[in-house]
Amino acid sequence: MTSGYIGVSVERDDLAFLDGTACYVADVDREGQLYARVVRSPVAHARILDIDVAEALAQPGVVAVITAADIPETRIPIRLPMAETPYTHLFLQPPLAREVVRYVGEPVAVVVASDPYLAEDAAELVDVDFDELDVVSDILSATTQGTPLVHAEAGTNIVATVPLGYGDVEAAFARADVVIRDRLRMHRHTAVPMETRGLLAEMDHGTGVLTLWGAAKVKHFTRSALSSMLGIERHRIRLVENHVGGGFGVRGEPYPEDFLVAFLALRLGRPIKWIEDRAEHFVATNHAREQEHDLEIAATADGRLLAFRDRAWCDQGAYVRSQGILPALLPALHLPGPYRWEAFSVETRGVLTNRTPVGTYRGPGMTEATFVRERMLDKLAAELRLDPAELRRRNLIRPGELPFSFEPAPITYESGDFPAGFEHLLDEVGYDDLCKQRQVRRASGEHVGIGFAAYTEIGAIGPFEEARIVPRSDGRFVVHVGVASLGQGVETVLGQIAAEKLGVPMDAVSIDHHDTEKLADGFGAFASRSTTLAGNAVALAAEDLRAKAAARLDVPAGEIRFVQGQVREPSGRTIPLAEVGEGRGRFDKPHPTFSFGAALSLVSIDRETGLVKVLRHAVLHDVGRAVNPELLRRQLAGAASQGIGAALLEELLYDEYGQPQSTIMADYRMPTVEELPDIEVIVEERPNTANPLGVKGGGESGMVGTPAAIANAVADALGVEGARVWRLPLTPDRVREMLRHH
Amino acid sequence: MPHVDQHLSGDWLEADESVRIRLVANDQELPVEAPPRCTLADALRDNGLKGTRLGCEQGSCGACTVLLDGRPVRSCLMLAVQAEGGRLETVEGLAAGGELHALQRAFHDHGALQCGFCTSGFLMLAAGLLREEPDAGRERIREVLSANLCRCTGGGPILQAVLAAQRELRGGRG
Amino acid sequence: MKPPPFAYRRASSLEEALRLAAEAGEDAKFIAGGQSLMPLLALRLSRPSHLVDINRLQELGGVHQENGALRVGALVRHATLERSPDLDGPWQALREAAALIGHYPIRLRGTFGGSLAHADPAAELPVVSTALQATFIARSASGEREIPVSEFFAGPLMTVLEPGELVVEARFPAPSPGTRSVFEEFSPRAGDFAFAAAAVVLAADDGGRVRNAHIALGGVAAIPVRAHEAEAALEGEVLTGSAAQEAARLAAAGCDPSGDAHASGAYRKELVATLVGRALSRLREER
Repeated sequence: MTSGYIGVSVERDDLAFLDGTACYVADVDREGQLYARVVRSPVAHARILDIDVAEALAQPGVVAVITAADIPETRIPIRLPMAETPYTHLFLQPPLAREVVRYVGEPVAVVVASDPYLAEDAAELVDVDFDELDVVSDILSATTQGTPLVHAEAGTNIVATVPLGYGDVEAAFARADVVIRDRLRMHRHTAVPMETRGLLAEMDHGTGVLTLWGAAKVKHFTRSALSSMLGIERHRIRLVENHVGGGFGVRGEPYPEDFLVAFLALRLGRPIKWIEDRAEHFVATNHAREQEHDLEIAATADGRLLAFRDRAWCDQGAYVRSQGILPALLPALHLPGPYRWEAFSVETRGVLTNRTPVGTYRGPGMTEATFVRERMLDKLAAELRLDPAELRRRNLIRPGELPFSFEPAPITYESGDFPAGFEHLLDEVGYDDLCKQRQVRRASGEHVGIGFAAYTEIGAIGPFEEARIVPRSDGRFVVHVGVASLGQGVETVLGQIAAEKLGVPMDAVSIDHHDTEKLADGFGAFASRSTTLAGNAVALAAEDLRAKAAARLDVPAGEIRFVQGQVREPSGRTIPLAEVGEGRGRFDKPHPTFSFGAALSLVSIDRETGLVKVLRHAVLHDVGRAVNPELLRRQLAGAASQGIGAALLEELLYDEYGQPQSTIMADYRMPTVEELPDIEVIVEERPNTANPLGVKGGGESGMVGTPAAIANAVADALGVEGARVWRLPLTPDRVREMLRHH
Repeated sequence: MPHVDQHLSGDWLEADESVRIRLVANDQELPVEAPPRCTLADALRDNGLKGTRLGCEQGSCGACTVLLDGRPVRSCLMLAVQAEGGRLETVEGLAAGGELHALQRAFHDHGALQCGFCTSGFLMLAAGLLREEPDAGRERIREVLSANLCRCTGGGPILQAVLAAQRELRGGRG
Repeated sequence: MKPPPFAYRRASSLEEALRLAAEAGEDAKFIAGGQSLMPLLALRLSRPSHLVDINRLQELGGVHQENGALRVGALVRHATLERSPDLDGPWQALREAAALIGHYPIRLRGTFGGSLAHADPAAELPVVSTALQATFIARSASGEREIPVSEFFAGPLMTVLEPGELVVEARFPAPSPGTRSVFEEFSPRAGDFAFAAAAVVLAADDGGRVRNAHIALGGVAAIPVRAHEAEAALEGEVLTGSAAQEAARLAAAGCDPSGDAHASGAYRKELVATLVGRALSRLREER
C-alpha cells in the first residue's frame, strides 16, 4: 500500500515501551556526570536573610553549591507573544530566589554531588535563614484592601486584567425575563504525568555546543530562552527530546531547572543530571486552573440566551511563568462557548498568590470556562423548567450563521455544525432512553443524574510550523519537524501524512522531532496544534519535494513516483532521489481555530458516603478530519479520564500559611481503573476549510467538557439541592455536605 | 569490599559502605555494588535494567513493579540488600527468546499505552497476577490493576488488554 | 526521594535480631516487608541509624488456631490472611481487613507486625485487633512482655514499644460461641487509607440476642477507639434493624474526629454511623 494512509488507524510502533528499551531522560547517562539537587523554600513567603552552604559543601561527594549570588540576574521569559504585556515582566521568575521566596518549593540553592543520594543528603544541610512575611493564600484575598503583596516592588497583586466585550450588555439585561447569578469556583489541580521532569546537560568542549537532554513540548523556545539567559548563541545550544512520559501542557516549558542545569554544566565543565522527584514535582511543576467566577446570565422566558456578565479571579501563583497571562486570557476567550449571545462583558483578572506558579494544563481556560457557563445553563434550565438539552438546542449557533464572530472580541467560529454535533452525542448515548432509565432507577431508590456540556475549544494556534523532508539514498525519507511527541502518537500521524503525500509506504518514512539541530524553528506541542500545524507543513514539504523531482524530469508533479531510491516518471526515465535535494514546507496559521465538542455523563451517588460513581461518560469532538481515528479516540478517552479525576478526586490543597497539603501521590488522588468507566468517544469530522488537510485540534478535547458534564450530572442526581454544586472536585465530603444541608 | 552475605558471621554493613549484592534478574547475575540504603529500583536501573521506571519512589504509582520470586513487588519499596538471593524478573525478561509475551502483544493491540512510562510496571503486575491466579475474574483483575497508575489511557484499555492476554494464556481452557 | 543513610544487618534468628537491635541503640529500627517504613525513609520522615532486617525469620510466620484462640505471627503477610478461608466466623473481620490494605503488591509483602508497629490511625489491622481484643507479645534482648491492644497505641505513628522491642506475635482470645465479626471502611479511591473504618465483633445466643459486642473505629482519633456506648446499647438486645441503627448513631455520637484537608471531622463522624450501620446489617443478613 502506497497511499490512502490518511483516515486509517495505522498501528503505532510501540515496541520500545513494551520491551523496556524506551529511553526517557532518566535513562540517559553521560561519562563523568554529576547530580544536581535543588534546595527549595519550605515557607510560602519570606525574606532570605542568609544562606550558609559551608556544611553542605563539606559533605562527601559534594562538588558545588550555588545560590542566587552565583548566577547572573536573569528571569525566565514569556513564550507566547499573545499573552505578553510589558507589565507582566515585573513578575517573571528568577531561576533562584533572590532576597525573597514567594512559594513553598521555590528554588533557593542547588547542590551538585557525585551521587543522587549524597546530593540529597547535602541539600538538607544548606542552612537558609528566613524572615517570614505575611502570605496571600487565596485568590480572593489577593485583591482585598491591605493584603500582603507577593511582589512588593510592583505595588499590586494583579498581573493583568483582560476585558472582553460584545454587544450592548445593559440593553440585553434590561430586556431579560430571567437573570440568574452565582459564584463558581474551579479548583487548583494539574497534569501530574507519570514521568517527572528531568534534564541532563553536557558541554562539548571540542565543538563548544551545550546539549540538553530531556527537552519536550517547546524545544526551540526553550533554546532561545536559554540562549538569552546564559548569554550564548542559539546555535551553540542543542535540545534533545527523549521519550517523554506524558506532558499534558506542564512538561517542556522552560523552568528554573532548565537554566540551572545548563548553567552548572557550563560552570563545572561536567555533565549535570537532574531528575525531579515526585514531592518536588507537586510544588515545582506548573499548577493549573484555580479561578473563581462571578457570573450573571440573562435570558428570555422561553429560554433564549441574551447576555452574560462575568468577573473572574484567576490564580497565577507566585510568578508569571513562560505562559504569561494565559491563565487569565484563555478563560475569557471561552466563556461565550457555542451559543448565540446578543451581548456579553467579561473581565478576568490574573492575580498573584504565594503558591506554586500556574501554567496551562490540557484544555486550559476552556475547561474552567465551560464548567462555569454550563453549570449556569443548567441552573437556568431548572429555573425555566426546561430540559437542559432543549435549552442548549435553542441557543447553539446554527451552521447557516457561520462564520460567526463576537467582534470586537477575538472570537470567530469558522466551520462546523454545532447543533448536529450536539444531537449526534445525544443520539449515540441514547439520551431519551437514558432519561427513562433515570426514572426507573430513581423509582428504585437510586440517586442517579445526567449532565452534559457543550463547548468551543481554541486550537491550532500559530504562528507557523516548518517541515523538512530529506530523501536518503536508500530510498527512505526523513521528515524533520519542530513539534514534539508527548507520548500520544504524533510520529505515527505525521508519518501517515508524509507517506500519503509522497506516495510511498509508511515504513519508508521516519519522523524526526527529537533535535533542535535538525530544524531551525519550531513552536512545539501545545494547544492541540501538532496535527494541524506540523501536519500541513509536512504535506506542503511533500508537495515541494514532488515538485522539485518533477521539475528535474520535466513532467507534471502528479506523474512522478518515488521507487527504490529513484524518482521515476511514466515513460521509465529515472534520476537518483539523492539528486533532488530536500522538500521544505511551512504552514502559517495567523488565526486559531475554534472547534466544537460536547460531553455527557451519567452518575450515581451513594447518599450515605457521598461517593460519586461515573456510570457512563461520553465525549464528542469535531476534529475536522481524523488522520488516525484510533489514536485520536485514545487521546480523547485519556483526556476525559483526567477530566473525571479533576471533577471528583484531584485537588492541590493549601492551608492558610501557603503550605501545600497534597505533596504525595497518596494525597493527590488520580483515578485508577477502579474509578473510571469505559469512556465512549464520538469523533465528528466536519472538515476545516482553513487548511489543506481539513484538520482541527483534538488532543485536549476529551477534557474540556468533562468536569462540567459531571458537575451537572451530580447536581441532577442531588435534585433540588444540586443548585449548590458550585465548586469542584465533588469529593465525598463535599457531596455529603450538600446533602446534610438539605 | 564486603559481601552482603558476610553479615551472617560478621559486622554491620556501614551506612554508605558499598557492598556486593548478589542479585539475579531475568536469570542473569547482576554485579551490584551499592550501599545498604540503595533501593532495589535504583540497583536495577544502575545496572542496566532501566526498563523499570521510577514514577514516585514512595510506593504509590507502581511504575517500578518487578517480580520477586514470581510475585509483583514495588522495587522502590525494597532495599536492594533485601532482594539478595531472590529471583527477580523485570520487563526486559518478559519476552522469551525474542518473542513477545501475550501481555505485551495485548497491550499493543488494545492501545493499553500512550506515553509508555507506566507500561513496564503494569506488565509485570499483570504477569505476576496471571501466573499466581490464572483464572482471576474480571473484577479481581480490575482490583489488582488499580494498584498502578496510568495517566494517559485511563486504564480501561489496560484492563481489556490483560483480559485478552488471559484468554490467550489459558488457551483452550477458557 | 532517596532513603537517608543507615547501617544494615540481616538477622538470621530472632535472638540475633533482638541482640543486634539492643546493640545498635535507640535509633535502630526493624525492617520486615518495608511497605510502611520505606515510604517514610523515602520522604526522610524516619532516620534510623541502623536497620535490623527480620524479613526472613521463618519463626515469626504462621497463623495458628488452637482451642478457639488465634495466634498470628509478626511476619504473616496481609495476602496470607486475605487468602485464609478458615479465618471465618469470629475471625472474618481479620480476613476482610487484610484484603482492604493498600494494593495487591503491598499486601504480598507487608506484614502484620509491621502494620501494628507503624500505628497509622487509619490502618486496618490496628482497628480489627482492637475489636478482637488482641494481646501483642513484645520481645527484646532483655525479655518478653504482653501488651494488651488497648495499651499498645500511643498516638499517630506511635506505640509503647521501647527501642529494641519487637512485636513477635498477636494473640486473639477464644471468642464465645456464636461470635462473628465483619470489617467496613470507606476511602474515596481504591486502595487508599480509609477516611474511617469500623470492625464489629458480636457474640449472640441462639435466640439472636447479643451477649457482647465490640466495636472499634479507625480514622477518627489518634489511635483506634472503641465505641463503648454503642456496644452497651447492643448488649442484651436482639439485633433488629432499629437496634443496629441506634448503635450506629451512638458510635458516631461517641467519637469526635478532627478534620483535615481531605475529610472534615463532621464527615468522618457521619461515616462512622454509615460504616457501623453497614457492618451490623451485614451481621444481621449473614446469619
